[in-house]
Amino acid sequence: MAVFDTPEEAFGVLRPVCVQLTKAQTVENVEHLQTQLQSVSDSALQELQQYILFPLRFTLKTPGPKRERLIQSVVECLTFVLSSTCVKEQELLQELFSELSACLYSPKSQKPAAVSEELKLAVIRGLSTLMHSAYGDIIVTFYEPSILPRLGFAVSLLLGLAEQEKSKQIKTAALKCLQVLLLQCDCQDHPRSLDELEQKQLGDLFASFLPGISTALTRIITGDFKQGHSIVVSSLNVFYKTVSFIMADEQLKRISKVQAESTVEHRVAKLMVHREADWVKSTGGKLTILIKKIIECVSVHPHWKVRLELIELVETLLLKCSQSLVESAGPLLKALVGLVNDESPEVQAQCNQVLRHFAGQKVVVGNRAFADILSENLHSLATSLPRLMNSQDDQGKVSSLSLLLGYLKLLGPKVNFVLNSVVHLQRLSKALVQVLELDVTDIKIVEERRWNTDHLSASPKTSAMRPWSQVQRRYFRFFTDERVFLLLQQVCQLLGFYGNLYLLVDHFMGLYHESVFYRKQAAMILNELVIGAAGLDVEDLHEKHIKTSPEELREIVTSILEEYTSQENWYLVTCIKTEEMREELTLKQPGFQAITSGAHNTCQATSLPAFSKPSPTICSMNSNIWQICIQLEGVGHFAYSLGEDFRLLLMSVLYPVLEKAGDRTLLISQAATNSMMDICHACGYDSLQHLINQNSDYLVNGISLNLRHLSLHPHTPKVLEVMLRNSDASLLPLVADVVQDVLATLDQFYDKRASSFISVLHALLVALAQWFPDTNHVGQPQEHTAEKEESHLNQRILENNATTAEDIEYFLLSYLKEKDVADGNVSDFYNEEEQSKPPEVDEKDTGPDVEPPLPVQIQIATDVMERCIHLLSDKSLKIRLKVLDVLDLCVFVLQSHKNQLLPLAHRAWPSIVQRLTNDDPLAVLRAFQVRVT
Amino acid sequence: MEHTQRTEVTAPLPSMAAPPPPSPDPQFVLRGTQSAVHALHFHSGAQGQGCPLLFSGSQNGLVHIWSLQTRRVLTTLDNHGGQCVTWLQTLPQGHQLLSQGQDLRLCLWDLTEGRNAVVDFVHLESMGFCRGSTLAMGQQRWTLAVPGKGTDEVQILEMPSKTSVCTLKPEADAKPGMPMCLELWQADSSSRPLLLVGYEDGSVALWDISQRKVCSRVACHTEPVMSLDFDSQKTRGVSGSAEKALAVWSLDEQQALQVCRTHEITNPGIADVKIRPDHRILATAGWDHRIRVFHWRTMKPLAVLAFHSAAIHCVAFANDGLLAAGSKDQRISVWSLYTQT
Repeated sequence: MAVFDTPEEAFGVLRPVCVQLTKAQTVENVEHLQTQLQSVSDSALQELQQYILFPLRFTLKTPGPKRERLIQSVVECLTFVLSSTCVKEQELLQELFSELSACLYSPKSQKPAAVSEELKLAVIRGLSTLMHSAYGDIIVTFYEPSILPRLGFAVSLLLGLAEQEKSKQIKTAALKCLQVLLLQCDCQDHPRSLDELEQKQLGDLFASFLPGISTALTRIITGDFKQGHSIVVSSLNVFYKTVSFIMADEQLKRISKVQAESTVEHRVAKLMVHREADWVKSTGGKLTILIKKIIECVSVHPHWKVRLELIELVETLLLKCSQSLVESAGPLLKALVGLVNDESPEVQAQCNQVLRHFAGQKVVVGNRAFADILSENLHSLATSLPRLMNSQDDQGKVSSLSLLLGYLKLLGPKVNFVLNSVVHLQRLSKALVQVLELDVTDIKIVEERRWNTDHLSASPKTSAMRPWSQVQRRYFRFFTDERVFLLLQQVCQLLGFYGNLYLLVDHFMGLYHESVFYRKQAAMILNELVIGAAGLDVEDLHEKHIKTSPEELREIVTSILEEYTSQENWYLVTCIKTEEMREELTLKQPGFQAITSGAHNTCQATSLPAFSKPSPTICSMNSNIWQICIQLEGVGHFAYSLGEDFRLLLMSVLYPVLEKAGDRTLLISQAATNSMMDICHACGYDSLQHLINQNSDYLVNGISLNLRHLSLHPHTPKVLEVMLRNSDASLLPLVADVVQDVLATLDQFYDKRASSFISVLHALLVALAQWFPDTNHVGQPQEHTAEKEESHLNQRILENNATTAEDIEYFLLSYLKEKDVADGNVSDFYNEEEQSKPPEVDEKDTGPDVEPPLPVQIQIATDVMERCIHLLSDKSLKIRLKVLDVLDLCVFVLQSHKNQLLPLAHRAWPSIVQRLTNDDPLAVLRAFQVRVT
Repeated sequence: MEHTQRTEVTAPLPSMAAPPPPSPDPQFVLRGTQSAVHALHFHSGAQGQGCPLLFSGSQNGLVHIWSLQTRRVLTTLDNHGGQCVTWLQTLPQGHQLLSQGQDLRLCLWDLTEGRNAVVDFVHLESMGFCRGSTLAMGQQRWTLAVPGKGTDEVQILEMPSKTSVCTLKPEADAKPGMPMCLELWQADSSSRPLLLVGYEDGSVALWDISQRKVCSRVACHTEPVMSLDFDSQKTRGVSGSAEKALAVWSLDEQQALQVCRTHEITNPGIADVKIRPDHRILATAGWDHRIRVFHWRTMKPLAVLAFHSAAIHCVAFANDGLLAAGSKDQRISVWSLYTQT
């Protein structure tokens, strides 16, 4: 189709069409005109604008009922013309505006006319296009007071459409149009920005519509979530643009007290609003109600774009209307803060940015500092928090806590103003403690047992790469949502980061002491506080904030740890005594376990019904288990917080933790192992072995002191056992030292605790045998691992039945031979032995009258063997078996030192013979003989 | 070995109500000297900088420097040819340590900024167990008392120039035997240095160094005096010997020594006695493996600390109240006496 560039050509083409339309107003003719128009250039069309518009407007103005279809096509055609041309005359603009608005006017009712949706859409678009096509200054002059009634009509029309129509398209278009009408359009077509005076005039004009617009929009916004997010987003957009325009502080401060002499006619003047102080105040109050409604609804809107728009709303209103909407500042900030932890990263980022902006700009809201409002909000939140935590569901808790978190983030160091108030601190802590209450009714906690005693020495290799901060799954009484816990953690960390750590630690320590009921929660909070104080995971909004110094932190951690590891908080009842005893009997015998495992299972099964009902004692034991776990976790946290500095605390902490690592409650031993891993990471040790090895001196200190009070610390031998398994020959002097204590203690407790001591002695000699492998015995296996011993023993026991007279005879023969050697010459062996001595023990600290000292390990083995001789006749079969094991190892270690071994062997003989004749584990002797000869 | 002696009931404080709490534990134990410990000395670190240190001298001639913060050995000093180190003392000015060994040498160590070098030594002429004593005389000068050449002599040296000031030899008819312990001191009112000497015959003598004569001498014990300590504020001293008693003696204005009282203890042999710097309590090192703590003014027994498994050779107090004891069982136990109430 040819394009007609000049007005003359275009006129020639359009004239017949226009004439025809004027004569016969049919849809076909209108459509014909529109088709023709498409071939006319914009400039030509501009020239002919009036001419073309005439038949169209004529059609609209023709009185009498018209077909909707016709009106629609006319409006569409009109829109087309307007979109390509500008309206340069004020009068035309006004008329067109009225004519278009009138299309939807139904004289019978106040509501928009019941016309087809297509027509409504066409009219809305027409209006929108019309406003865009207004040329330059015309648009400003258009908004003079006299237009008020007509404008008001259009506004209410559009609001009605946006609110009541079903079609999403119409709603969106109506809102868009409304925005255009109020000159808040954000498209590029508007030629220039308004100057202050013009803004004021417009503001005055629009102020009349504010009540209508704001209430209608609020209804839309707070309507059904199902109406689609784009409607809500645009409504929010229009809402805040309108409000922020009309209520802008900039404009309001220039409004004079007295209303200017009105130049308009009386009828219109009545509609005009004068925005003086009283009006602002009352409007602000009313708007606050609406804003609160909006916030309440939108902040939990499922769609993130809506929440994003809310941030925009808050930002705009707070920036532009902080004076006029002073009452809304609180709720607005609250909304913003609540979104800080939004699940959508976009919302979160935007929110953080806005908050950072506010915090950085020292924004003042209505004569009050931003921070004042925040701390006031925090005060009131702290006050209501206990109630909220009590009554809300998980979702509610999440939002309350998010809010709390947001305030803390924003207030930063100023949070201390709130914390310094005793009442508020108490409220806050009460809420935290209350919500963190653990569920202790679960039977599994007590039930889960660790059966494998070698667990610790095996675990470090497998779990060395464990990522930090893996928390044991906890069950809380008042919530199940993991997010709640994460939020609580963050809250505590922030408190620790910004708050006065001394004050907080003191307060929660107080709670910790106050009652068993609070103890676990307080410990959890303390753990997080310290992590926060170290500032490792906290994103700081306040750059100038001074963190707690490492020295202070260490001091605080030291005092907390002292409390944690004190007798009454660390050694709690976690299992029933009888059960303990039973386990002791079965478990202290790793070598025996394989054999009894069949019986073991049944034993376990029979014991279960006894605990099947959760009784108060089970609850309290569960509670104790959790407390220990939390404290252990705390140790790990503290190590993480202090890093290398934690090394200094190892002297007091390592022993208790290691002790718990051997605990038979699964959760506790897990927690202890985890916390040791954390220590390894923090202090730069490669593995648990490394950690234990490097700090054996501290461990030995603890072991030796605790051995003095064995009844209070029954697990001490266990720790030594673990230590021995994880150390190497370089620790021999230390080991020698502590072994003296062990033997001295064993001498006091032959009867009661022999079994645990025998385990230690076994571990000790296994270690000695490993550290000082005998060079003369190349054929001997140098690694004497526990498993080997185990299989060894099993094998021997299996052989029990096969013991024959030949064995006994062989034994007796060798016994005689042995005795002969013991009594007779040993000088041949003597020289050899001197040479095979390890060089490192060559110390020359003795006077001339003392024999050359024995190597330390030989001395130890000798001492141990001495004890074994006595224990060989113990009542318990298990102990006897174990002792024979140990004896075996003693002989292995001593084999190169015949003049120590032989007298001892000689002394041991009678007891062994006793075993041989009266007892079953005869086969042990065979191994014994092999070693001796 | 000494099982028959283990009869004394270990009680922390007499005022404690029944039931008795478990016997108190040391705050911590230092292990690793690998030899009997014969000398201990605390060093609080110069004006708050650096952590407090404990020096220990052992039978095998080594001096260990322990950090009380990490409870580990920082450095080992070895310059006594494997002979027992009997006495350790830091000098008031700076990081200088004196160590006396049975190799007949008294070494002066420079420990500034982590150094550990012998800067000077004094050759000793007596082999006994008698420990030396020092007294600051001015900014840099100090007086040193060590056992002298003759068996009953004490030698006074001016340091650091090592010039011999005099030799204190008892009168011919006195025959007090060897000096066993020395304590130099100076009354606040006068500038004359005085020396207390505990002799082999159980007597304690006060020497006026400038006049080179014995001011007073009193027989306190029937066995050799093993150690003594003197409280110059109260002008009272205490001495321990091989016998089963502690002697408390005082010095009157005429500088005459008088035995005030003797305090019986269960088992014989006090290897060392020290009064705490605040003059409130004193501690003794017992051959019976026990540390005994007494109230210094009343001599009321406060505690018997049982931990060691062999004779205790030495005790030492730190300025902050820590008590350390070194024993033949190769351990050093460190006690915090304030927390045990």
